[in-house]
Amino acid sequence: MEIPDSAAVDQARNHADEAALAALVDQYAGALYRVAFSVLRNPADAEDAVQEAFLRVLRHRDTLGEVRDHRVWLIRIVWNIVLDRKRRAKTRPETDDVEELARVLPSAGLSAEQVAAAAQHHAHVLACVDQLPAKEREVLQLSAFEELSSVEIAAVLGITESSVRSRLFRARNLMAGLLNHARSLR
Amino acid sequence: MNLESPNPVTDAETALRRIAELPAPQGLEDRVHKRIQATRTAAQMPRPGRVLPWPVSGGSGNAWLRSAAAAAIAFVVAGGGWGVYSRTQPGEPTHTIPAPQISAPQISAPGSFGSAGAIRTPQTLHRPVLTHPAGVQDAPAAAAKKSASKKQAQKQAARQAARQAAAQASAPDSH
Repeated sequence: MEIPDSAAVDQARNHADEAALAALVDQYAGALYRVAFSVLRNPADAEDAVQEAFLRVLRHRDTLGEVRDHRVWLIRIVWNIVLDRKRRAKTRPETDDVEELARVLPSAGLSAEQVAAAAQHHAHVLACVDQLPAKEREVLQLSAFEELSSVEIAAVLGITESSVRSRLFRARNLMAGLLNHARSLR
Repeated sequence: MNLESPNPVTDAETALRRIAELPAPQGLEDRVHKRIQATRTAAQMPRPGRVLPWPVSGGSGNAWLRSAAAAAIAFVVAGGGWGVYSRTQPGEPTHTIPAPQISAPQISAPGSFGSAGAIRTPQTLHRPVLTHPAGVQDAPAAAAKKSASKKQAQKQAARQAARQAAAQASAPDSH
Protein backbone atom coordinates (compact mmCIF):
# COMPACT_ATOMS: atom_id res chain seq x y z
CA MET A 1 0.00 0.00 0.00
CA GLU A 2 1.38 3.38 -0.95
CA ILE A 3 1.57 5.89 1.87
CA PRO A 4 0.44 9.32 0.67
CA ASP A 5 2.88 12.18 0.96
CA SER A 6 2.11 14.50 3.89
CA ALA A 7 2.51 17.60 1.68
CA ALA A 8 -0.01 16.17 -0.77
CA VAL A 9 -2.42 15.44 2.09
CA ASP A 10 -2.05 19.02 3.35
CA GLN A 11 -2.61 20.38 -0.12
CA ALA A 12 -5.74 18.26 -0.58
CA ARG A 13 -7.03 19.42 2.81
CA ASN A 14 -6.38 23.06 1.90
CA HIS A 15 -8.27 22.62 -1.35
CA ALA A 16 -11.17 21.05 0.53
CA ASP A 17 -11.21 23.93 3.05
CA GLU A 18 -11.06 26.45 0.24
CA ALA A 19 -13.97 24.82 -1.56
CA ALA A 20 -16.04 24.60 1.64
CA LEU A 21 -15.42 28.25 2.45
CA ALA A 22 -16.27 29.33 -1.10
CA ALA A 23 -19.52 27.41 -0.88
CA LEU A 24 -20.38 29.13 2.42
CA VAL A 25 -19.72 32.54 0.88
CA ASP A 26 -21.93 31.80 -2.11
CA GLN A 27 -24.71 30.43 0.07
CA TYR A 28 -24.83 32.80 3.03
CA ALA A 29 -23.15 36.11 2.12
CA GLY A 30 -26.51 37.70 1.24
CA ALA A 31 -28.21 36.62 4.48
CA LEU A 32 -25.27 37.84 6.53
CA TYR A 33 -25.34 41.16 4.72
CA ARG A 34 -29.02 41.67 5.57
CA VAL A 35 -28.39 40.84 9.23
CA ALA A 36 -25.47 43.27 9.32
CA PHE A 37 -27.41 46.00 7.53
CA SER A 38 -30.39 45.69 9.91
CA VAL A 39 -28.10 46.74 12.75
CA LEU A 40 -25.56 49.03 11.09
CA ARG A 41 -27.88 50.57 8.46
CA ASN A 42 -24.98 51.42 6.20
CA PRO A 43 -24.21 49.32 3.10
CA ALA A 44 -20.43 49.79 3.25
CA ASP A 45 -20.24 48.94 6.96
CA ALA A 46 -22.52 45.94 6.47
CA GLU A 47 -20.38 44.59 3.64
CA ASP A 48 -17.23 45.12 5.67
CA ALA A 49 -18.79 43.18 8.54
CA VAL A 50 -19.64 40.30 6.20
CA GLN A 51 -16.08 40.20 4.90
CA GLU A 52 -14.71 40.24 8.42
CA ALA A 53 -17.03 37.38 9.37
CA PHE A 54 -15.70 35.25 6.53
CA LEU A 55 -12.12 36.14 7.40
CA ARG A 56 -12.80 34.86 10.91
CA VAL A 57 -14.14 31.67 9.37
CA LEU A 58 -10.95 31.43 7.31
CA ARG A 59 -8.89 31.71 10.49
CA HIS A 60 -10.90 28.96 12.20
CA ARG A 61 -11.48 26.79 9.13
CA ASP A 62 -10.15 23.76 11.00
CA THR A 63 -13.32 23.76 13.09
CA LEU A 64 -15.66 23.91 10.10
CA GLY A 65 -16.25 20.18 10.27
CA GLU A 66 -17.45 20.39 13.87
CA VAL A 67 -20.16 22.97 13.13
CA ARG A 68 -23.65 21.49 12.94
CA ASP A 69 -25.61 24.42 11.51
CA HIS A 70 -23.39 26.64 9.40
CA ARG A 71 -26.10 29.25 8.82
CA VAL A 72 -26.75 29.90 12.52
CA TRP A 73 -23.02 29.76 13.25
CA LEU A 74 -22.26 32.37 10.57
CA ILE A 75 -25.13 34.62 11.66
CA ARG A 76 -23.85 34.44 15.22
CA ILE A 77 -20.36 35.49 14.05
CA VAL A 78 -21.62 38.44 12.03
CA TRP A 79 -24.05 39.36 14.80
CA ASN A 80 -21.20 39.65 17.29
CA ILE A 81 -19.18 41.71 14.82
CA VAL A 82 -21.97 44.19 14.13
CA LEU A 83 -22.88 44.56 17.79
CA ASP A 84 -19.26 45.27 18.58
CA ARG A 85 -19.08 47.88 15.83
CA LYS A 86 -22.37 49.42 16.86
CA ARG A 87 -21.14 49.68 20.45
CA ARG A 88 -17.98 51.46 19.33
CA ALA A 89 -19.67 53.75 16.83
CA LYS A 90 -21.68 56.74 17.89
CA THR A 91 -25.45 56.57 17.54
CA ARG A 92 -26.50 57.34 13.98
CA PRO A 93 -28.69 60.42 13.64
CA GLU A 94 -32.16 59.77 12.23
CA THR A 95 -31.47 61.99 9.19
CA ASP A 96 -28.70 59.62 8.11
CA ASP A 97 -31.12 56.71 8.31
CA VAL A 98 -33.72 58.57 6.24
CA GLU A 99 -31.23 59.27 3.45
CA GLU A 100 -29.85 55.75 3.48
CA LEU A 101 -33.30 54.15 3.52
CA ALA A 102 -34.53 56.38 0.71
CA ARG A 103 -31.60 55.13 -1.31
CA VAL A 104 -31.90 51.41 -0.60
CA LEU A 105 -35.62 50.79 -0.12
CA PRO A 106 -37.39 49.41 -3.18
CA SER A 107 -39.06 52.28 -4.99
CA ALA A 108 -40.71 50.59 -7.94
CA GLY A 109 -44.01 52.27 -8.79
CA LEU A 110 -43.56 55.00 -6.17
CA SER A 111 -43.04 58.67 -6.72
CA ALA A 112 -40.04 60.44 -5.25
CA GLU A 113 -42.31 62.00 -2.64
CA GLN A 114 -43.70 58.63 -1.61
CA VAL A 115 -40.22 57.15 -1.37
CA ALA A 116 -39.12 60.01 0.85
CA ALA A 117 -42.21 59.64 3.08
CA ALA A 118 -41.68 55.89 3.40
CA ALA A 119 -38.02 56.38 4.25
CA GLN A 120 -38.92 58.95 6.90
CA HIS A 121 -41.53 56.68 8.42
CA HIS A 122 -39.13 53.71 8.55
CA ALA A 123 -36.40 55.84 10.01
CA HIS A 124 -38.75 57.01 12.72
CA VAL A 125 -39.72 53.42 13.56
CA LEU A 126 -36.05 52.42 13.65
CA ALA A 127 -35.31 55.30 15.99
CA CYS A 128 -37.96 53.90 18.33
CA VAL A 129 -36.39 50.44 18.03
CA ASP A 130 -33.07 51.94 19.04
CA GLN A 131 -34.67 53.19 22.24
CA LEU A 132 -35.51 49.67 23.38
CA PRO A 133 -33.29 47.90 25.91
CA ALA A 134 -30.54 45.93 24.21
CA LYS A 135 -31.91 42.47 25.03
CA GLU A 136 -35.38 43.22 23.71
CA ARG A 137 -34.07 45.12 20.70
CA GLU A 138 -31.82 42.26 19.60
CA VAL A 139 -34.63 39.72 19.73
CA LEU A 140 -36.98 42.04 17.82
CA GLN A 141 -34.39 42.72 15.12
CA LEU A 142 -33.61 39.03 14.64
CA SER A 143 -37.29 38.09 14.63
CA ALA A 144 -37.74 40.25 11.53
CA PHE A 145 -35.73 37.65 9.60
CA GLU A 146 -38.36 35.16 8.57
CA GLU A 147 -35.79 32.51 7.82
CA LEU A 148 -34.81 32.43 11.51
CA SER A 149 -36.97 30.39 13.86
CA SER A 150 -37.16 31.15 17.58
CA VAL A 151 -34.85 28.17 18.22
CA GLU A 152 -32.29 29.62 15.83
CA ILE A 153 -32.61 33.09 17.35
CA ALA A 154 -31.96 31.47 20.73
CA ALA A 155 -28.88 29.77 19.29
CA VAL A 156 -27.57 33.04 17.82
CA LEU A 157 -28.06 34.94 21.08
CA GLY A 158 -26.97 32.06 23.30
CA ILE A 159 -30.19 31.99 25.33
CA THR A 160 -33.13 29.62 25.72
CA GLU A 161 -36.12 29.60 23.44
CA SER A 162 -38.46 30.62 26.27
CA SER A 163 -36.25 33.66 26.92
CA VAL A 164 -36.60 34.58 23.25
CA ARG A 165 -40.39 34.44 23.51
CA SER A 166 -40.57 36.46 26.72
CA ARG A 167 -38.14 39.09 25.40
CA LEU A 168 -40.10 39.36 22.17
CA PHE A 169 -43.31 39.84 24.12
CA ARG A 170 -41.73 42.63 26.20
CA ALA A 171 -40.21 44.21 23.08
CA ARG A 172 -43.60 44.38 21.33
CA ASN A 173 -45.23 45.97 24.36
CA LEU A 174 -42.46 48.54 24.69
CA MET A 175 -42.60 49.31 20.96
CA ALA A 176 -46.36 49.83 21.13
CA GLY A 177 -45.89 52.27 24.01
CA LEU A 178 -43.12 54.18 22.23
CA LEU A 179 -44.97 54.49 18.91
CA ASN A 180 -48.28 55.43 20.54
CA HIS A 181 -46.50 58.11 22.52
CA ALA A 182 -44.88 59.43 19.34
CA ARG A 183 -48.24 59.49 17.54
CA SER A 184 -49.95 61.33 20.39
CA LEU A 185 -47.27 64.04 20.25
CA ARG A 186 -47.94 64.70 16.54
CA MET B 1 -49.80 58.84 1.71
CA ASN B 2 -50.54 57.27 5.07
CA LEU B 3 -47.99 54.61 6.00
CA GLU B 4 -49.11 54.15 9.58
CA SER B 5 -51.21 51.11 10.45
CA PRO B 6 -53.67 51.08 13.36
CA ASN B 7 -51.44 48.63 15.25
CA PRO B 8 -48.08 50.28 16.00
CA VAL B 9 -46.36 46.95 16.66
CA THR B 10 -47.31 45.72 13.21
CA ASP B 11 -45.95 48.99 11.91
CA ALA B 12 -42.60 48.41 13.58
CA GLU B 13 -42.37 44.81 12.51
CA THR B 14 -43.23 45.73 8.95
CA ALA B 15 -40.43 48.30 8.90
CA LEU B 16 -37.95 45.85 10.32
CA ARG B 17 -39.04 43.17 7.89
CA ARG B 18 -38.66 45.46 4.91
CA ILE B 19 -35.12 46.21 5.97
CA ALA B 20 -34.44 42.54 6.61
CA GLU B 21 -35.60 41.70 3.11
CA LEU B 22 -33.34 44.18 1.37
CA PRO B 23 -31.30 42.47 -1.31
CA ALA B 24 -27.57 42.22 -0.94
CA PRO B 25 -25.55 44.46 -3.27
CA GLN B 26 -24.42 43.10 -6.61
CA GLY B 27 -21.06 41.32 -6.58
CA LEU B 28 -20.90 40.93 -2.81
CA GLU B 29 -19.85 37.30 -3.06
CA ASP B 30 -17.10 38.12 -5.57
CA ARG B 31 -15.69 40.82 -3.35
CA VAL B 32 -15.71 38.48 -0.35
CA HIS B 33 -13.96 35.78 -2.42
CA LYS B 34 -11.31 38.27 -3.51
CA ARG B 35 -10.66 39.46 0.02
CA ILE B 36 -10.36 35.91 1.30
CA GLN B 37 -7.96 35.10 -1.52
CA ALA B 38 -5.89 38.20 -0.81
CA THR B 39 -5.71 37.36 2.89
CA ARG B 40 -4.74 33.78 2.12
CA THR B 41 -2.02 34.88 -0.29
CA ALA B 42 -0.67 37.42 2.19
CA ALA B 43 -0.53 34.76 4.88
CA GLN B 44 1.37 32.34 2.61
CA MET B 45 3.84 34.85 1.20
CA PRO B 46 7.02 35.34 3.25
CA ARG B 47 7.40 38.87 4.44
CA PRO B 48 10.18 40.58 2.47
CA GLY B 49 13.06 41.89 4.54
CA ARG B 50 13.60 45.60 4.58
CA VAL B 51 17.03 46.90 3.67
CA LEU B 52 17.90 50.48 4.27
CA PRO B 53 19.05 52.06 1.00
CA TRP B 54 22.62 53.20 0.92
CA PRO B 55 22.66 56.94 0.24
CA VAL B 56 24.43 56.81 -3.08
CA SER B 57 23.29 60.16 -4.23
CA GLY B 58 24.50 63.18 -2.36
CA GLY B 59 26.43 66.33 -2.87
CA SER B 60 30.21 66.27 -3.05
CA GLY B 61 30.31 68.78 -0.21
CA ASN B 62 29.79 66.14 2.47
CA ALA B 63 32.17 63.57 0.91
CA TRP B 64 35.07 64.71 3.11
CA LEU B 65 32.82 64.47 6.14
CA ARG B 66 31.93 60.90 5.27
CA SER B 67 35.61 60.04 4.74
CA ALA B 68 36.54 61.61 8.06
CA ALA B 69 33.83 59.68 9.84
CA ALA B 70 35.00 56.43 8.23
CA ALA B 71 38.60 57.17 9.22
CA ALA B 72 37.58 57.96 12.79
CA ILE B 73 35.66 54.68 13.05
CA ALA B 74 38.63 52.75 11.63
CA PHE B 75 40.99 54.49 14.07
CA VAL B 76 38.80 53.71 17.07
CA VAL B 77 38.44 50.05 16.07
CA ALA B 78 42.18 49.62 15.36
CA GLY B 79 43.15 51.43 18.58
CA GLY B 80 40.86 49.26 20.64
CA GLY B 81 42.29 46.12 19.08
CA TRP B 82 45.89 47.23 19.66
CA GLY B 83 45.08 48.11 23.28
CA VAL B 84 43.77 44.63 23.93
CA TYR B 85 46.72 43.01 22.13
CA SER B 86 49.35 45.04 23.97
CA ARG B 87 47.91 44.18 27.40
CA THR B 88 47.89 40.42 26.87
CA GLN B 89 51.22 39.25 25.43
CA PRO B 90 51.58 35.51 24.75
CA GLY B 91 54.02 33.69 27.06
CA GLU B 92 53.75 36.25 29.80
CA PRO B 93 54.18 34.68 33.27
CA THR B 94 51.02 34.50 35.22
CA HIS B 95 50.75 36.74 38.17
CA THR B 96 50.15 35.18 41.55
CA ILE B 97 47.61 36.91 43.59
CA PRO B 98 48.64 36.76 47.25
CA ALA B 99 46.11 35.81 49.86
CA PRO B 100 44.65 38.78 51.61
CA GLN B 101 46.29 39.51 54.94
CA ILE B 102 44.03 39.33 57.90
CA SER B 103 43.98 42.79 59.28
CA ALA B 104 44.41 43.51 62.88
CA PRO B 105 41.28 43.87 64.92
CA GLN B 106 39.87 47.25 64.39
CA ILE B 107 39.67 49.49 67.30
CA SER B 108 36.25 50.86 67.57
CA ALA B 109 35.69 54.50 67.91
CA PRO B 110 34.96 55.66 71.38
CA GLY B 111 31.29 55.46 72.17
CA SER B 112 30.47 52.76 69.62
CA PHE B 113 30.39 48.97 69.55
CA GLY B 114 33.45 47.09 68.39
CA SER B 115 33.98 43.66 66.86
CA ALA B 116 36.31 42.60 69.68
CA GLY B 117 38.62 41.05 67.12
CA ALA B 118 36.04 38.50 65.93
CA ILE B 119 36.36 37.37 62.34
CA ARG B 120 33.31 36.11 60.60
CA THR B 121 33.66 32.70 59.04
CA PRO B 122 31.17 31.82 56.32
CA GLN B 123 29.02 28.83 57.27
CA THR B 124 29.63 27.17 53.95
CA LEU B 125 33.28 26.60 54.84
CA HIS B 126 34.71 24.47 57.63
CA ARG B 127 37.48 26.91 58.20
CA PRO B 128 39.09 29.76 56.35
CA VAL B 129 41.30 28.45 53.60
CA LEU B 130 44.36 30.58 53.13
CA THR B 131 46.66 30.20 50.20
CA HIS B 132 50.28 31.15 50.86
CA PRO B 133 52.02 33.49 48.52
CA ALA B 134 54.57 31.93 46.17
CA GLY B 135 58.18 31.69 47.54
CA VAL B 136 57.19 31.47 51.18
CA GLN B 137 57.91 27.97 52.58
CA ASP B 138 56.25 26.31 55.47
CA ALA B 139 58.11 26.63 58.79
CA PRO B 140 57.87 22.92 59.80
CA ALA B 141 59.12 21.82 56.40
CA ALA B 142 62.10 24.13 56.66
CA ALA B 143 62.88 22.88 60.17
CA ALA B 144 62.69 19.24 59.05
CA LYS B 145 64.99 19.98 56.15
CA LYS B 146 67.41 21.74 58.49
CA SER B 147 67.47 18.82 60.96
CA ALA B 148 67.99 16.34 58.11
CA SER B 149 71.02 18.23 56.83
CA LYS B 150 72.35 18.48 60.38
CA LYS B 151 72.05 14.69 60.83
CA GLN B 152 73.79 14.13 57.53
CA ALA B 153 76.67 16.40 58.63
CA GLN B 154 76.94 14.55 61.91
CA LYS B 155 77.07 11.21 60.10
CA GLN B 156 79.71 12.52 57.75
CA ALA B 157 81.78 13.78 60.69
CA ALA B 158 81.51 10.42 62.45
CA ARG B 159 82.59 8.63 59.31
CA GLN B 160 85.57 10.93 58.93
CA ALA B 161 86.58 10.41 62.59
CA ALA B 162 86.40 6.65 62.12
CA ARG B 163 88.58 6.86 59.07
CA GLN B 164 91.17 8.95 60.94
CA ALA B 165 91.19 6.51 63.84
CA ALA B 166 91.73 3.62 61.47
CA ALA B 167 94.56 5.49 59.79
CA GLN B 168 96.27 6.21 63.15
CA ALA B 169 95.95 2.58 64.14
CA SER B 170 97.58 1.36 60.98
CA ALA B 171 100.40 3.99 61.07
CA PRO B 172 102.74 2.27 63.73
CA ASP B 173 102.55 -0.93 61.72
CA SER B 174 103.82 0.83 58.63
CA HIS B 175 106.68 2.59 60.57
